[in-house]
Amino acid sequence: MTSGKALWNSILSENPRALLFLGLCPAIAVSVRVIDALWMSAGVILVLVLSGLAMALLSGESAGAEAVFAPGGAESATARGSLAAGWMRALLITSFLTASFEAGLLALAPTASAALGIYAPLIAVNCLVRGRGMSGFPHSSPGGSMAAALGRGIGFAGSLVLIALVREALGAGTITLFPVGGFGGTIGIPILVEQPVRALGFAGGGLLCLGYLAGAARLISPHAAASSASGRAAE
Amino acid sequence: MPDARDRAGRAASSLMPAPHIGVRTSAARMTWLVSLCLLPAAGWGVFLFGTPALIVLAFSIGTAVLAELASTLPFGRFTLRDGSALLTGCIVGLLMPADAPAYVPAAASAFAILVVKQSFGGLGRNWMNPAMGGVVFAFLSWSGPMSQWIAPRGGTVQGAVVPPLEALRAALAAPGARGTTPLAVLSNAGFRFSDLDSRVLGWINSHVLAPLGTALPPGAFDVLVGHVAGGIGTVSAPLLLLGAWFLLSRGIIRWHLPVFYVGTFGLLAAIFGGLGTGQGWLAGGPGFHLLSGSLVLGAFFAAPDPVTSPLTNRGRCMIGIVLGVLTFFLRFFGSLGDGVAASIVLGNCAAPLVDRWTFRRRTGHQEGIA
Repeated sequence: MTSGKALWNSILSENPRALLFLGLCPAIAVSVRVIDALWMSAGVILVLVLSGLAMALLSGESAGAEAVFAPGGAESATARGSLAAGWMRALLITSFLTASFEAGLLALAPTASAALGIYAPLIAVNCLVRGRGMSGFPHSSPGGSMAAALGRGIGFAGSLVLIALVREALGAGTITLFPVGGFGGTIGIPILVEQPVRALGFAGGGLLCLGYLAGAARLISPHAAASSASGRAAE
Repeated sequence: MPDARDRAGRAASSLMPAPHIGVRTSAARMTWLVSLCLLPAAGWGVFLFGTPALIVLAFSIGTAVLAELASTLPFGRFTLRDGSALLTGCIVGLLMPADAPAYVPAAASAFAILVVKQSFGGLGRNWMNPAMGGVVFAFLSWSGPMSQWIAPRGGTVQGAVVPPLEALRAALAAPGARGTTPLAVLSNAGFRFSDLDSRVLGWINSHVLAPLGTALPPGAFDVLVGHVAGGIGTVSAPLLLLGAWFLLSRGIIRWHLPVFYVGTFGLLAAIFGGLGTGQGWLAGGPGFHLLSGSLVLGAFFAAPDPVTSPLTNRGRCMIGIVLGVLTFFLRFFGSLGDGVAASIVLGNCAAPLVDRWTFRRRTGHQEGIA
C-alpha cells in the first residue's frame, strides 16, 4: 500500500465510528471551543504520527500487537506473550509521547495547557484506541505507517474541529482561534453572541452534534455504514 | 369514577356477533381531540396576556408545522393530518411565558419536531415527548428570555413581574422567610395579588367563612383560577382539568399515570416540602404547588402521551410515581424551573425499561404450557 493511499484511506474509513465510540469523553470535553479542539487535534496527530514511526521501526518484534484488538486472536501461550509485549510497547510509547506533549504544552502554551486540563493526558487514551495507527501496519515501511497514522489524526482533527465549530458558534456565539497581532483571537457572531443556544455547549449538546455527524458520515459513505454494521468483532 | 376500562369491560361483556359498527377512533382523531381540550386553557392565557401570547402561540405552532413539512415532504410523506405537529407546537407555546421573544418558541418547536421526533423516525418512534424536549432545550439555552413574564389582565404590577411559584422560590431562598404555607410566605415577603383577589376573598371570608371561624389567605383566589403571571396555558388549572376530564371520560388518556404523578408529588410536597427551607414538617403547601407551574398540563397532557409512556397500567403507575418524585426534588431542591418538563423528559427515558419489567409475555411461549 502506498503512503498516499494509506493516508487517504485512514482519513475517510476509520474515522466517524472511532470518534463516536472510543474517544468520546475527551472529544465532548474539548469541543466546546474551537481553539481547544485545535490543540487537542495537534496533540493527537503528533502522538499518533510519532508512535506510528516508533512502532514501524520496531515492527519486526511487534507483530503481535496487531492482535490486540482481535480477542481470540491469541491462541497459544507464545502468541499471548507476544501480544502482551506488543500491547505494553504501544502503551509505553504512547504514554511517553503524550507526557512529552503535555510537558511541552505546559512550558510553551500554559493557557492552552490549562484549557485542556485533564484531557491532555487523555490524548494517550485517544491514541491507543485509535492505536491501530501504531500497530496496524507493522510490516509496512515507516513512511507508510506514519502516513496511516497521520490520516487517522487528520480524520480525528477534522471531526473534532467541525463539532467544535458548530458547538461554539451556536452555543456561545463565538469562534475562538489563536490571537495574532491585533486580532484578539475571538470572532463574535452578530446575533448569536447576544442569545446563544447554550444547550449545545453542554455535554448533551456535544453528543447531539456527534450523533448527527456520525449519521451524516453514514449517509455520505455507505461503506462506513456497512463496515460498522458488520460489528466491532470484525476488527 | 367511571373510567374507560370499565366501559370497555361492559362493552366486552355485551359483545354481539357480527356485523359490527366500527368506532371512528384513530391516533389522528385522538391527537386532534387533545388539541381541542387545550383550547379553553389557551383561550384563558390569550385573554390574560393579550397579543404577546397570541404571537408566541403563532410562532410555536407555525414553526412546528413548517418543520414537520420540511422534514417529511422531501421524503414524499404528508403527515400534518395526524395533528401531532400542531399539538406539539401548541404545548410548546402554552408552556412559554407570554413575553418570550419570538425566536424562543420557534427554536423550541423546531427542536421538538426536527431533533426529538423526526430524527428518530417520526411519530410513534420518538422516545421522548417532543414538546417537553423542546421546552427543556429552550430552558437550558435561554433561561433569561424564558423568564420574561407579563402581568395578567387586571393584575397588580409591582416591580418585576414574576409568577407566584418563582416568587416563592426567591422568597424561600432569601434568609428569614416566614410563614407555614406558601401563600403566607408570599404575603410576608410582600408579594401582591390582584385587587379582584382581595375583593372576592374579602366577600367570601366575611360572608361564608367567618361564621365557620376560618378564612382564606390572600392569593387563594388568584392561584386557584389562574389569575397570575406564568406560562400562557399553564396558569389556569381548572380549565386544564376540564379538558383533562373530557380526555379521561372519552378514554383517550388513562387515569393511572396522571393520578399517581399528581398524588405522589402532592404527598411528598405536603410532608417534606417545608423541610428544606426550615418551614418544618407538613408545611409544603401541596395545594399551591399542584395549582402552580405546569404540573397539571404536564401530568394530564404530556406525560400520558401514548408514544412515550409505558404500555401497561402497572407501568403507568410506576412511571407516575417516578415523575412525582422527580418533580418534587427538581422543584424543591433544583434550579430547572418548576421541574415538570425536565421530569417528564427523564421519565420518558425510563419508560422502555418499565415496559420490560411489566409487560407480560404470552404464556404460550413458556415450555410445557403451549
